[in-house]
Parts: sequence; C-alpha cells; structure tokens
Amino acid sequence: MTRDEAQQRFVALLQERFGVEEIPDDNYPLIDAKHHFELARVLREEFGYRIYSFVVASHYLEKVDAKNDNAVIDIEHYEVATGIRCVGAPAHLASWRVRVELDQSIPTLFPLFAGADWQEREQYDLVGVRFDEHPDLRRLMMPEDWEGHPLRKDYAIETACPPWR
Amino acid sequence: MHSVTGVDPHLDIETYDPSADLMVLNLGPQHPSTHGVFRVKLYLDGEIIIKAVPYAGYLHRGVEKLCEELTFVQIIPIVDKNDYVSPMMNEQAIAMACEAMLGIEVPPRALYLRTIFAELQRLASHLLWLGTFGMDLGGALGGGATLFMYCFRERETILGLFEEVTGCRFHYNTHAVGGNRHDITPKFSCDTKTTLEVIEKRLEEYVQIFSSNRIYRARTQGIGVLDGDLANSLGITGPLARASGVDHDLRRDAPYHIYGELDVKVFTESAGDCFARTLVRLNEMYESIRIVREIIDSVPEGPILGMKPGKSPGHIKIDASQGYSCIESPRGELGTYIIGGGKSRGASAYRLKIRSPSLHAASCIPYLFPGHTVSDAVAILGTLDPIMGEVDR
Amino acid sequence: MTPLMHGFVWGLVIATVLVTIAVLSIWFERKFSARMQSRLGPTLVGPAGILQLVADALKMMQKEDLIPEKADSILFRLAPPFTVLFTLSVAAVIPFSENVLAADLDIGVLFMLAVGGLVVFPVWIAGWSSNNKYALLGAMRAVAQGIAYEIPLVLSAMVPVVLAQSMRFSDIISVQAETHWFVIWPLGPGLIAFVIFFICSLAEANRIPFDIPEAESELVAGVTTEYAGMRFGLLQMAEYLHTLIASAVAAAIFFGGWDGPFAPGLHWMVLKTLALFFTIFWIRWSLVRFRSDQLMALCWKYLLPLSLLLVMVAALFVHYCGVGA
Repeated sequence: MTRDEAQQRFVALLQERFGVEEIPDDNYPLIDAKHHFELARVLREEFGYRIYSFVVASHYLEKVDAKNDNAVIDIEHYEVATGIRCVGAPAHLASWRVRVELDQSIPTLFPLFAGADWQEREQYDLVGVRFDEHPDLRRLMMPEDWEGHPLRKDYAIETACPPWR
Repeated sequence: MHSVTGVDPHLDIETYDPSADLMVLNLGPQHPSTHGVFRVKLYLDGEIIIKAVPYAGYLHRGVEKLCEELTFVQIIPIVDKNDYVSPMMNEQAIAMACEAMLGIEVPPRALYLRTIFAELQRLASHLLWLGTFGMDLGGALGGGATLFMYCFRERETILGLFEEVTGCRFHYNTHAVGGNRHDITPKFSCDTKTTLEVIEKRLEEYVQIFSSNRIYRARTQGIGVLDGDLANSLGITGPLARASGVDHDLRRDAPYHIYGELDVKVFTESAGDCFARTLVRLNEMYESIRIVREIIDSVPEGPILGMKPGKSPGHIKIDASQGYSCIESPRGELGTYIIGGGKSRGASAYRLKIRSPSLHAASCIPYLFPGHTVSDAVAILGTLDPIMGEVDR
Repeated sequence: MTPLMHGFVWGLVIATVLVTIAVLSIWFERKFSARMQSRLGPTLVGPAGILQLVADALKMMQKEDLIPEKADSILFRLAPPFTVLFTLSVAAVIPFSENVLAADLDIGVLFMLAVGGLVVFPVWIAGWSSNNKYALLGAMRAVAQGIAYEIPLVLSAMVPVVLAQSMRFSDIISVQAETHWFVIWPLGPGLIAFVIFFICSLAEANRIPFDIPEAESELVAGVTTEYAGMRFGLLQMAEYLHTLIASAVAAAIFFGGWDGPFAPGLHWMVLKTLALFFTIFWIRWSLVRFRSDQLMALCWKYLLPLSLLLVMVAALFVHYCGVGA
C-alpha cells in the first residue's frame, strides 16, 4: 500500500464513521472531542497504527475583528493535534486536530498508548490543556510550583517568575 | 494497564509489601551516568529497584517558546543545541518541515549533501554512544574509559570533516530552508573515504574487544528487555525499537532526501535487551559507512540552494496552516510540527513542537528499571541513549 | 642486632619503599593508561610529568578538610588511616630477600590473611559514617565482596602452604627454590591456585573488573564519595598499597619469591612483584566491570569449590609424592 492509498483510507474512515465533512489541504482535519479517543482506538486496533508519534497542544487567544467594532470572531481556546503512525512501510501518519474550549478537557490516550503519559504531561505543563483520566497529570518540564504555562500566548517571554528571575 | 511487561509505572509505593525496608535513592540530577542532568528517583528494596520515577526538565531552555519569537532563519542555529550529539539532524528536521509547508524544491546536490551529512552524523553519534556506554559499564578509570577514548578519537575525525565543510565542529548552521549553505569540495570526498576506511577497520576491533567480551555480554544480555509492542505504544523509534523487533525505519519506509534511491538495510534484533541495542547500533554504523561510500562519488553538480537567498531574517513566511515532517535521527523519529502564521506576518512560527525521540526513550524508564539492580539501571540508561538537551528542550 | 631492632629497621624501610612505589605507580599508571588510550598523560610538571605526583599530593593536602555535618565525625576521621594501617601491616611478614624482611613469623601466611581481612572493617566504617546513601551502598557491596572473596583467597593460599608444609613465608620460598616454583610444579594445582588467588586479590583490592564498591558510574565514588583532601588521598593510597602487597604475596608464595639466577634475590622479588602489579594495571584498563550478583556467583559457584578441590589435590600430592617433590 502506498502512502496515498493509506491517506485515502484514513480520509474515508473519517468521513464515514466520524462525520468529518471536509478535509483541509494540510491534512489536519478538525474532529469533535468526543470522537478523539474512539478514532485513536479504531486506528490502533483495526488499522494497525501502533506507533504513538506526537501530541501538540496550542493556545489561541480571543480573536476580534478590529474593523468591525471589535466583534469577537473566535473565543480563547486550545487545539490539540495528535499523530499516530503505522509500523513499517508506508509509515503513514494519521493526524487530526481537536478543538478544546478553555474550560473543557480532552480524554487521554493513555489506555491505548503508554507514550501519552509523558507527552500529555508535557502539553499540560507547557500549554495548560487538561487531559481527562490521565493517571499522573503533573508538570514534566517546569518545576512543580511553577505558575502559569509558558507556551500560552498570554505568557510573555519576559514573564517574571520568582525566584528564578 | 499495559500488561505487556507486567510493570506498573504508577505503582503506589504504599501498596508494596509494608514490611519491606525501602530506601529512596536519587540517581541524579548530577550523577556520572545520567549523561547530562536528569533525575531518577529509585525506590530500592536492598539493591533491587521497585519503582523508578524520572524527573526531566533540568535542562529545559524553552526552545519552543524561543522558536515562536524568532524567525525561521534564526531558529536553525538554536535547534542545533537540542540534540547536541547530532546537530545536523536537528537542522535538517526544521529545514525540511519549512520546505514541506512552503513547497520548496530542494536541488539534488543539496539532497545528496544532506544524506552524506546525516549518515556521517549518525556514525559520529553512535560512536559517542558506544564510548559513553563503555564508560557506564567500565567506569571512568578502567576499560570503559579506554573504549571512550578510542571512540572519541574516531568521532574527532568525523567532526574534522564537518569542520572542513562548515567551519564548525559542532552546531554547524549549514542547512537553510531550501538547501544548504556550504558546499563540499573534491578534497572532502577524498578525506571522507580515507576516514571511513580507518573507522571501519577500527570498528572491527571495538567489536572484538567489547561485544565479544564475556563480561560485556554478562552485563548486557537479558538486561532491560523492552517489548516491541510497548516500544511502539511509547512512541519509541529508531535503534531502540529495532532492537525489540520493530521493523521500522523512516529512511526505508517513508524515504526523504535521496534514501528512496538507495537500498537502506534495516537491522532488527528480537531480544530487546541491552546487548541487542548494542548490536543494532553497531550494524547501523557499518550501514552508514556503506551509504556514504555509495553516494559520495555520485554527488551531482548544480546549485545547493533552491530559492533566492533573502536579505532579511524574516524573508521566509509561512501562513496559518500546520505541517509535520520527520527524519530518522540516530535516536529515532525526529519530527517538527509547525503551525505557521506567527509573529511578523508569518516569519516565525505560531507554535513549533519538536518531537524528540529522546523524550520517548526516556519515558520507558519506569517500565524497564523495576526488577533490576542499580548497576543494571546504569546499563539500561546507557543503551537508551537519551540526550538531555533533546529530552528537555 | 636484636631481632626486634632488625624487625623495626626493616619494617620502616619496607613500609617507606612500598608507600613510595605505590605513589610512583600512580604516575606510572597514568602514563601507561594514557598510552593504551592513545593519549599522552601528564607531561607538563617535571620530566615526563613525573612531578605531577608532587603537585597532586600538595593539592590534596591543601584541600579543605570537609566532614559532612550529619556524618559520625570520629569514625569518619578514623577510617582512612586504619585502612592504610591494616593494608601496610601485611607487608611486615613478606620477605623481599633472605634478609630484607621485618618479621619472619612461623604463622606468616595466617597473619597475612588475618590482617589483610581486617581492611573490610575500616571500609565499612567509612561508608557507614559518611551518612550518604551512595557510600552506604558502596560499603555494603565492599563488605559482601570482601567476605565472599576472603574464603577462596584463604583456600588458594593454603595450596602453597600444604605443598611446603609450612606457614612461614621463608620456608615456602626455600622449598620453591629447592624444587620448582609452585606456579609451575605440581602442574595444575599451583597455577590454578595462583589464578584464583590473583582474582581474589583483585576483588579484595577493588580493582576492575571487581571495582564494584566504588563503581563511579553507578555509585558516584562509592565509599569515598564524601571524603575530600588527604583523607581521600589515604583511601586511594590504601587501594594502591593493597594491590602492590597482594602482588608481592603472590610473587612470594607462587613465583618463588627471591629465587632466581644471576641477580641477587631482592632484584628478583621486586621484579616479580612489579610484573604482577603491572598485569593488574593492564587488566584494569582493558575490562569493564561485573555486576555485584555476578561477582558473588563467580565466587560462590566457581572459585570456592575449585579452591577446595585444589587444597585436596595438593594434600594428595604431598601425601604420595612428598614435599615439593
């Protein structure tokens, strides 16, 4: 199977079973948070995507339209991108994004992928997105008593953090 | 939960035999064999490890935050410092991610250069690993140090080759988005061939001295067995996974550079122990030598930069979309996930994540350590080969 | 000269010379290991860097005398000098030639084994009183290893005793001088006993591949973790002395001591001792270390039964063929 075929199969799966309507050009479809765990499970158990590749959370500030009287276009939220890969050729990477509201959390993938333990901890530590039912959601990179999450957009690079600065 | 190994990484130490007299030993953050600053809290029953809790982050420098502030041109020398044992790979990972998102075609000569650099760097990195692993087993005042010195001697020659091309022994800043910045000369090809000949001959000797040594075998065989399924599920790739029987190598399975035209041999072992990891890395060194030899004479002529060099550091702009691309670094899948559209109208990333193979490798410590002694823990940590600059970023 | 005076004078001379050799051997080892590793070693201080020793010793003496706050300061101070004392006491009974010996005890071998075995105590005290987990683990390993290896060491040293029918060092050497060195004849038991004795001495002296008590990649510096300055220097010197004296004992009871043609006996004894000493360096810089349970397995499963067997074979040999034969 070539990588294109694997991608088509992945797209078909998303459209048929998870109700995703459009696949963006960059191949990072947005799926609903409630399908997140199920999609990973189906990919792992039915399609052999067994390598846990990455999870990336990113933080988006409130977006306003300056021309239109500062009307709110989009509220503050997180986006979590996940990528899992199949073993051996064609090593296709199945990846998707999930939009997470500020007060919501996203189910952990730890029951499926042991690697989610540390990766999700890192994203929680740096971005602040919370993972439901994670067995050990502590900070990974920053000290345990650190205030704030450094990779958030409202966390300026000069933010003072006693006693280190 | 992950019953493949029968080890629970989140074991509640209170539920362990209450009559046992446990000792808590902090291995690190400053310890001779943590290869940097890394702490593993060990719960010992006698000298047997019951539970291991790793603490990362002592070398956290906020590279990802820094990458959101600086432009794509400026971050290449920054990411050099992540995996400081194989800087070429870091540069290539970033450059390739940007190229993929911008759709820039890299000229064939640059692709050949990148392949040659990558394989030489893999060789240098594995040599350093072999040396430091000898040090872990044999001590700084003993046979291990002898191996260490030998391996460093060989590695120096490779760094000398890089110096000839880029002017730096380390942190080269030679890859740019769209190609390379330094070209090779006929003298480089000639020097490379002589260097590789010497290294190949001496590698034979190291294999003789150490992996055929009874003590070396006794210290590594059956120690730290990593299950292939667990390796996949932890996201462990590269030589570690291949030593556990996972037949997966991005150079062969998802070719980049010119690996598609080459017949890259992938070595796997089924044992998954420290000795298997040693064998896989030794074989990979020979394979790297073979690949460089195969292509060093057939580097095509032509330009090495596929786009017009920009005048300002912000000339590369990526719009708000996301992309991920990865290479097979000496430690596994080294990837870069970029969300474009950051500061100065897209000249820097909105979010940049470096998918570091070392972090995944380090995350198997809670699974591998329990049941072994402190001595074995050092051997296991040595074969995992985590580079702390990359674990913590 | 009275025997007491004789013993006192020679004891002083032997102790001084041994300590000097042990210190010089540090320079030699550094140069030697450097050559093995394609380096240069010390070159700057004095000709071929030989004065580096003086520089190092001065540096150690100048260092602040650190004692950890939570350590048991009396025991902590006592341990290093006692390590050197017990190690050096063994040298009292080793004959370097017919005349160059401090005390020719009739229980020389027993004295050597008994006093040599005492070294375990100051090492344990050092590890315990440091109040450091790494030091404690190192001391635990040192005691386990020291006690385990004491037994095959004693048994293998019994082989020459049985063959010579005496525990007096000079008798053992005279028998060898009259017949053959025990390492050569009787073929088999002598050589194997020497190998076992040598391995056990390495283990007792904490030399690679048995340097598990101070395995610096695992236990930072083991027993010596908390020591600084001259106390650390003493512990290091005890290690070198131990190796040197073990070589001298092996040379005496297996290689015929002062026996040799052409040159005076003292020359031969020194030559043999230094050759064995050199071999230990050689081994040290080419092997990696064992794990402690593997070390114990080697001792209890292989060396102990084998050395018991050797004593029996030696006894049978003496019974049927006579002393030395």
